[in-house]
Amino acid sequence: MKYIDDPHRLQIEIIKKTYLISLLPVLSSLIAGEYAITLGFVFGLLIATLLLRLKYNNIIRALNMEEESAEKFIRNRYFLEYALYFLVLFTAARHANLNFLAAAVGLFMIKFTVIMWSIIDLLKDTFQRQIDEYK
Amino acid sequence: MVEFSPEVIDTVIRAAALLGAGFAMIAGIGPGIGQGYAAGKAVESVARDPEARGNIITTMLLGQAVAESTGIYSLVIAIVLIFTI
Repeated sequence: MKYIDDPHRLQIEIIKKTYLISLLPVLSSLIAGEYAITLGFVFGLLIATLLLRLKYNNIIRALNMEEESAEKFIRNRYFLEYALYFLVLFTAARHANLNFLAAAVGLFMIKFTVIMWSIIDLLKDTFQRQIDEYK
Repeated sequence: MVEFSPEVIDTVIRAAALLGAGFAMIAGIGPGIGQGYAAGKAVESVARDPEARGNIITTMLLGQAVAESTGIYSLVIAIVLIFTI
């Protein structure tokens, strides 16, 4: 994976790639006139981006702590983030202008991008190795 | 054969859905414990090899971001059970 030594740069790359991939569902739902899906998706995506930033800041803070307090800190912060996820999904479920499933998919987009990026890197490495062996 | 009224059946279904939502939320505990453990080990690794800090942070960030997925799946299932049934 590119920028593996620079977490800040990698984070920005993940966010860029996620937004690029998200253009497809956003534009297609806009063209189809399903504005609730667009709004739900954008809502989920924005919250997922902010939570990724929050997670990065928490990790940086945790690395300056003792082992046990870092463990406790990250665990507590996870439950706070979980509560935020609940609020987002609850809001999407209660409001008619926000599609619940689109909001859930928006929340998952960053994870989807990370997994896809890893799979593409793995495939690239495999093909490169095979080409090198062939040469 | 005993026949139940539609109200009773609805109540039983609703109760089962809420119970299912409660059980689904148990899945949210696992990632928290796992992430905490990973953070502890990351601190240990950074103390052992400070030059690998960037690499450790990146791996931890990606790992934690993906590990959260199962917790969110359970949350989605619980909310669907609460609000749609």
